[in-house]
This record gives sequence, structure tokens and C-alpha cells, in this order.
Amino acid sequence: MVSQKITLTNGSGLHMRPAGVLAQAMAPFAADVTIVADGKEVNAKSLMAIVAAGIKCGTEVEIVATGDDEQAALDAAISLIESGLGE
Amino acid sequence: MKTLEGVAASSGVGIGTVVVVAEPVLEYESTTVADVDAEKARLAGAIEAFKELNTQKADQIRDRVGDEEAAILEGHNLMISDPFMVAEMDKLIEGGTCAEDALTQICEMFATMFEAAEDDLTRQRASDVRDIRTGVLCELLGVEEVDISLVPAGSVIVIHDLVPSMTAGLNSDNVVGIVTEVGGMTSHSAILARALEIPAVLAVADVTTELAAGDQVVVNGIAGKVVLDPTEDVLHSAEVRREEFLQERAALQQLVGKPTETADGIQVELFGNIGSVSDAEAVVSHDGEGVGLFRTEFLFMESNAMPTEDEQFKAYQQAALILKGRPLIVRTLDIGGDKDIPYLGMEKEDNPFLGFRAVRYCLQRPDVFKVQLRALLRATAFGDIRIMIPLVTGVAELRQVRELVAECAAELKAEGTECNADVPVGVMIETPAAAIMADVLAEEADFFSIGTNDLTGYTMAADRGNDHVSYLYSTFDPAVLRSIKRVIEAGNEAGIMVGMCGEAAADPLLVPLWISFGLGEYSVSPSSILATRAAIGDWTKAAADEVAAKAMAAKTEPEVRAILESARKG
Repeated sequence: MVSQKITLTNGSGLHMRPAGVLAQAMAPFAADVTIVADGKEVNAKSLMAIVAAGIKCGTEVEIVATGDDEQAALDAAISLIESGLGE
Repeated sequence: MKTLEGVAASSGVGIGTVVVVAEPVLEYESTTVADVDAEKARLAGAIEAFKELNTQKADQIRDRVGDEEAAILEGHNLMISDPFMVAEMDKLIEGGTCAEDALTQICEMFATMFEAAEDDLTRQRASDVRDIRTGVLCELLGVEEVDISLVPAGSVIVIHDLVPSMTAGLNSDNVVGIVTEVGGMTSHSAILARALEIPAVLAVADVTTELAAGDQVVVNGIAGKVVLDPTEDVLHSAEVRREEFLQERAALQQLVGKPTETADGIQVELFGNIGSVSDAEAVVSHDGEGVGLFRTEFLFMESNAMPTEDEQFKAYQQAALILKGRPLIVRTLDIGGDKDIPYLGMEKEDNPFLGFRAVRYCLQRPDVFKVQLRALLRATAFGDIRIMIPLVTGVAELRQVRELVAECAAELKAEGTECNADVPVGVMIETPAAAIMADVLAEEADFFSIGTNDLTGYTMAADRGNDHVSYLYSTFDPAVLRSIKRVIEAGNEAGIMVGMCGEAAADPLLVPLWISFGLGEYSVSPSSILATRAAIGDWTKAAADEVAAKAMAAKTEPEVRAILESARKG
């Protein structure tokens, strides 16, 4: 298992569009990827679950990846969030 | 004949035959699944069919309405493609639940989660999830989804609510009117109706049972009325009104891109009044030449805490960017004891309109005011921003505001932030004191903007909301008109711009007076911009002067009104 903390900086938080970008990017990885925010654990491959969690801009989240390609999945998630998730 | 009332959401008059669009009947018997794989395949097939249909609809909408509307439907495909969501449905099927129930339970679970969210955007997604559920269920049950594109020409669509998935087939070739039971000016159906120029009346109670298929109706989207079984006379006048409306709209469209000038070529500026950032787009789309009044109260009323400098800066910057260099006159916080904003710590007053409000509040609370001024100064780097002070009574207030502006500009400069320290600072003329002192104010203000609504109320000492005295509240009163004339002349003499941002600026009856007095800038609601351009173009200076001379010689409000009525153009 690998994990890293990061603060969301894209303008609207994890709404439809940015959540979709993240979920689509995580789908190809074999590893399970989870977003931990405000005590909630959310499946990072599920657009719906991410949106339902309503994670706002400025929130510190922890990305946790577990599985064969966990490091690659984690790196991909972090760099996407750093780049603002397509916004 | 019967008249139903609702919200006038898209203007125009439509005459046609009612088509009541019922929500599809989606009843089914829950079964226990024996062949799990076949049931999963049935669900997967329905989802695929739904997505395909949805893509077609999105393409149709993109052609007919625009990208933004199409994106709503494409979002539905993204949501239903979520592997986690489908996996949850499959799990239920594995436990023996039928596809219909599995779909309903999982969609409802997400809709409930979305509804519990803190922010509006996420809450709105709940209706999208339910829309998806309806669409996929239609596929599972083999029920045709409502297809509005198939209604015959001359149809008036009567429906509980127009949801995004139904709007793909909507077009003005066969739909002449829309009537719904829910919704308002800013609802999805209203925006769509306006984009397609289909007259619409929304929020008409029980209309899907009040009206039946085949009924003849007039949909008056100007007055917000629906007339059932109109008499010959009513039908005839509706047809006339419809023609007039279409001609007026076509005539006004001709004025897009034209300068705003009198018949003899005297150019003036024509701006829009806005109350939010997105309104700035309406000003541009109606061909406004700038914004003459940006009310900033929305920033304070929409939040639970004082908006930060950054939040305010972003709003001003965004409006400036939308205007692409056109002037943006921003009115500083105009708040008083009649509006309850808990965190501003204002007390209820016996006489809020004569009390602690607007610039008076701002000058006593520099901690609040300077945040706004700093945000405005920072935004000057992105457009032609000008600062306007409300409720000024004399030159002392203007001087104090200027000192604060200079202080903020110096702070920003010291911090290395770019801004225009010479940002124009003007005053709103809306108190009798300011009108009387106009010549003195004109020496120090960079511009005037006459707020006719408050100036009329304060001059006549009458509240237009009070039925006993509202007859006194009239901008046509000689007292108000003399006051306005003085203000315009004082400003012109000093060589500063004089504008007007009250409702009177758009009144075609008063326009000749404003031309004669020499008003330089008219600021009106975005939807009145083109009509005001037309009204100004109806007059030469000489003709306006002649009417003004008569009107200003009149001694009472009814006399003034009668003179202006008889001079009415068009």
C-alpha cells in the first residue's frame, strides 16, 4: 500500500467534470485507489461516489493505492490533482 | 374562456393546440431472478441502448441549442458509465433482485446521497440521476420515452416539468408554446425556451389536469397568462399581439451593432444594469456598450460570512473580462437596515431609508469598505472599471472615499500589486441634497449617475410600496424633473459624464426629456437595451427640445404625463 496527502486546488472541488477526469484516469490501473477526505473513504474509480462525497476545493485529501501497480496509480492521481484536473 | 396565471418565462405569444405530455408509465412487477447472467446482460443492454439514444439527443441539442445544453446529457452518459455504479447493480442482481429494482435502488441511493450534499451543484445532480433511471427503465420495459419532436405543428406543450432528457426534440417549428407546473425564470426549461424563442409560462398550478389534449389556448409569455378556449375577440387580439411582438423583435435585432444616437446624429452611451457576474453576459448579448450599474450586494447576500478580498476581486475581474474593455461602473456596497445580513452587524432601524446605510455604513466601517475598494482596484488591471458611491449627500463623503481609495492604492503598490490608482470615482445622485449640491459635487466627482428610483422617492417623500401615497411617487412629477435637469446641466457644465441608472432611463415617454437635458449615458436592464436605442433614435434634438419646453412648463404630474403621452412616438 502506498499513500500521499495533497490539497485540492482546482476551483470547484471534486464536481462532475473534475471527478470524471480523475475516475477515468484511475480506471485502467489494477490497484484499488481510494480518496480519504473528512473521514470518508471514496472509490477513486467511481465518478458517482466522488461526486456524492462533495469534496470541496481547499480540502486536504489522502490518496491510497493498493495493488500491483500501486505506485504508478498514486503518481498518476497526484499529478492530475496538481494540474487542476482539467480545469 | 378561462385564464390561468403563471411566471412569464419566455416572451412572445403562442396560439395553438394543447399536447399534454405525460410522464411515461413505468410500472413493473418485481421478480426474483433465476438466470443471473441473463439479467445482468439485460441491464447492460438497456444501459447501452440508453447511452446510444442519449448521444443522439446530445448531438441534436448541440445543433439546435448549444454546447452547454448538450453537456448536460453527455454528463448522464458519464454517470451511467461509472463501473462502480454498474457493479453495485450487478451485485443486487446476483442476490436475485431484478434489473428494474437494482437500477432503481442504486440510482435512488445516489440521488439521496447527492441531495444530502452541502452545496447546490451536487444537490442538483440528484435530478440527473433520477432522469437516468427513468431513461434506462424505459429501455428495460420497452416503453418509448417522451419524444417531443414528434408533436404536430402548432402544439402547445403542457407538462409537469421539462427535464433535460426530453428537450432534445423541442423546436420552434412545431412547438408554439410551453406551459409547465413547476419552474421559474432561471429554471432549465425557461433558459431553453428563451434560447429557442418559444413563448413560455411556467409554474401554472395543476395545469396538466386543468388543460386537456386538443384544447385551444393562447400562451402569453409577456404577461404570464394562458387563456383556455379564447373567444373570437381574444383570439384576434392575441394574433395581433403576436404579430406586433415578432415585428418588434425583428426591428430591434436590426439595431444590433448600430451606434446609439438621436435621429440627428447626437451619440450617447447605452449601458446595462447588472446584479451578478453572469448578467454581464446578458449586457453583451443585448449589445450593451458597457455596464452603468453593477450592484455588488449579491456578493454579500449570497454568503454566510464577509466575502474575502479575493472572492470579490474574482467577481469584479470576471465581469470586466466578459465586458472586454467596455466600461464597468461598480456601485460600492449599498446595504441598509432593511436588508438583513447577519454578519454585517447592522441593527434594525425605525427608519431604514433615512438611516445607517450605503456610503454612511461604509465610511464608518473602513475594515469592510477597504476590502471592497482593494478588490476593485486590483480588478482595474483587467478592464475599464469605475467606482460609484451610493447615497452621497455632499462633497465631504466623496472626499473621504477618495482618501480611502488612495490609501488602498498605496497599500497595493507597496505590496507590488498592479492597479490603476487614478480609477474614476463618481457619485450616484439619488438624494435631494446631492441634486441641490450638484454644481459643487461636479467640481470633484469624475462622473454622475442619477438613480431615479431613490431620487423620486426621496424628493416626493413617498414610498411607492405604500398604497396610500404611491400616487405621489412619480418621476414625471415636475419637482423630480426639475431636479434631474439641474443635475444634468451642472455635470455637463463641469464637463463630466452624466448618466442615469434608474428605470426612468428606459421609459420611452421620458426619453425626449433626457435628450433635451443633455443626458450622456443611459443604463437600463439588459433586456431593455435595444428598445432604448430605438427610443433614442426616434427623436431629433430640436423635436425633443420642443416637447421638453412644454413639459417643463407644466405645473402638475398629470399635465406632464399628458404632454409626453401626446408626443409619444410609434
